[in-house]
Amino acid sequence: MQYRKMMTRVILAGGLGVALVFAAQAVRTPASAVALMATGSVGLHSAGALAFGPDGVLFVGDSTGGAIAAIDTDDRTPARAGSKIDVQGVDEKLAAMVGVMPSDILINDVAVNPISKNVYVSAARGRGPDAAPLVARVDASGKLTLLALDNIKHETVSLSDAPEANPAARQNPRTQTITDMAFVNGSVMVAGMSNEEWSSALRSIPYPFKTAGKGTQLQIWHASHGRYETQSPVRTFVPYSIDGKDYVLAAYTCTPLVKIPVSDLKAGAQVKGVTISDLGSGNQPLDMVPYKKDGHEFILIANSSFGVVKLHADNLGQYKPIDSPTVVDVAGAPYDKITALTNVRHLTPFDGANAVILTASGGGGFGPAVGPMSIRTIALP
Amino acid sequence: MLCLAVLLALEFTATAQSISIQLDGGIFKVVGLPAAALRAPAGGWQSVFVVYAGTGDVPPLAGSYGVENGALLFRPQYPLAAGPRYRAVFRGAAAPLEKTFDGPARNLTPSARIERVYPSASVVPSNQLRLYIYFSAPMSRGEAEQRIHLLDADGKLLRGVFLPGQELWDPNNRRLTMTFDPGRIKRDLTSNKAMGPPIAEGRRYTLVIEREWRDANGVAMVEPFRKVFRGGPAVRHAPEPKTWTITAPSGGSRDPLVVGFGRAMNYTLLQRMLTVAGPSGEVAGAIEVAREESEWRFTPRNPWSAGAHRLIIDTSLEDLAGNKIGQPFDIDVFERVTERITTATTALPFEIRSAR
Repeated sequence: MQYRKMMTRVILAGGLGVALVFAAQAVRTPASAVALMATGSVGLHSAGALAFGPDGVLFVGDSTGGAIAAIDTDDRTPARAGSKIDVQGVDEKLAAMVGVMPSDILINDVAVNPISKNVYVSAARGRGPDAAPLVARVDASGKLTLLALDNIKHETVSLSDAPEANPAARQNPRTQTITDMAFVNGSVMVAGMSNEEWSSALRSIPYPFKTAGKGTQLQIWHASHGRYETQSPVRTFVPYSIDGKDYVLAAYTCTPLVKIPVSDLKAGAQVKGVTISDLGSGNQPLDMVPYKKDGHEFILIANSSFGVVKLHADNLGQYKPIDSPTVVDVAGAPYDKITALTNVRHLTPFDGANAVILTASGGGGFGPAVGPMSIRTIALP
Repeated sequence: MLCLAVLLALEFTATAQSISIQLDGGIFKVVGLPAAALRAPAGGWQSVFVVYAGTGDVPPLAGSYGVENGALLFRPQYPLAAGPRYRAVFRGAAAPLEKTFDGPARNLTPSARIERVYPSASVVPSNQLRLYIYFSAPMSRGEAEQRIHLLDADGKLLRGVFLPGQELWDPNNRRLTMTFDPGRIKRDLTSNKAMGPPIAEGRRYTLVIEREWRDANGVAMVEPFRKVFRGGPAVRHAPEPKTWTITAPSGGSRDPLVVGFGRAMNYTLLQRMLTVAGPSGEVAGAIEVAREESEWRFTPRNPWSAGAHRLIIDTSLEDLAGNKIGQPFDIDVFERVTERITTATTALPFEIRSAR
């Protein structure tokens, strides 16, 4: 859900040479966007979806507060080659640092800083409405460090239509839960679900925020068998390149995995995705990692109840738009189940050959994860 | 440096009897230290005084240090919580001091209960899209999937009914939105074909919410909740305001304006997607939703003025099946579309007549 995705896309699009150039750019001195950030309290009400932008900037989705924060992690020291992460009991460690029982730590997302390869975790301290948002850095030694959210360089953009600092805002029961974010072509792309109306808004907010306003918004639709069209909220998505063209691979809440040309993502548009896979009922993809291995392209997908699958993605270009009732959209992309990976709650790219997973000891679907939880790098299968 | 350490150690030894660790107002204190020991050591205060809130190989509690009134203080970054035991360790004396404290006591008296569930009717469409559960107190996140169940007429637990995913709470954790699996509702999707809709027409169901669901303080609810309902026909067509009935009150009165929809609508959206405009602009007043969400009543704050009025309708208003004004939940593109509404709002005019 992050800059990780952009990194992956670059690797896929241009190969290793491009990736190296990209990495070199990534460690340049902080851009003016970071330099101009004010230091102070971020004012987060919650810390949910994470995505990395340029220069170690971490985007944090605040569903409760209806905002996106861009935080300067000041974490721009390149990782040593071959670095790995393996932290057992990360929930227990985090709980001990903030003084609660491990069951009162809800980990919401995991992202890897593409420069330092440090892992960032967003979480809540507590389960009630007053739960404190947490963002912690996990380094290669396994050390956890809490980001000082009350005194850190940052800027924020409100997603709410309500006036800021409205004392009645807490009484407004309407919220937009941010289900995923990614930094794509200079903008933060945000998918979300409303707790009231059935909407499918995908928002694109140019970064830096100060000059951007609230960005543009479009509707995502899904068609089945070319006959029924539905507004379909996006659960998770990842930028991806197919035959040199930029796409967003998105998983709808109604299960199918679809591709959407980035060129279609225009303000006010109603965009239909083209189904490339449907992993079955009662399941939702949680995270996706595209990668290339042995000359072939794959997408590793962690699911709510279907385990981890490896989708063979060499021929995604063959799936044509559904523009005729005669076209059947039943999925065709083959996949393998990766049975060695169980209880994976979060999956995110680490480098071209490895990913980072957060695993629970038990608990299924989206239900409460049973700790202890661990974070570790795995070789992409 | 070594000499200083020896001196400090000797001094601590001499006074070790009087050094103690205390917890005062959420702040851990080491009291009774000699003056020489109140200067931060080279390794920082964390090298001599740490508090642990967990067992095993865990980092110390996050917080900050200070010296006040002859005592070394540790202020936790977050308030102490019920549950963990806090173990404070001071290693600056000849013999390490250690003391364990409990966090604040938890009120274990249950108080939370389910106040209401929408839709309120005992018959809901087989393509019902969402449930809204209202609690009397803030609740804990992360338990919905474990605590909410749907049983069939034989009491058998039905699986795969609700959309797995983020729990959609209001900011106060008092209203939870549950979504029936849209993959089963939307016609012709794999889930719909394999499993059918979550609710079948003519069948009886029981929504069960377990008492063990914890409120925001970690305490179970007062009682469980059960709601029996039956599946009705699917609703596939968009609500049509032209078919709604408007009963206009008389001018000068504060009688309610009554709007009948002819079908049940989404309760939460009825709170904000209908407004009334009069000759002088938007009319302020109170909303009441009645007759199992098929009726909307609006009582003005001030008496009605005679003249032309309009009911302003946000076209995102939905019925129980997620059909919006002018836009069904799943649009059948084979069907001939006679009218497509693309504006954000539409309006129904009505007249407030002067009382005779």
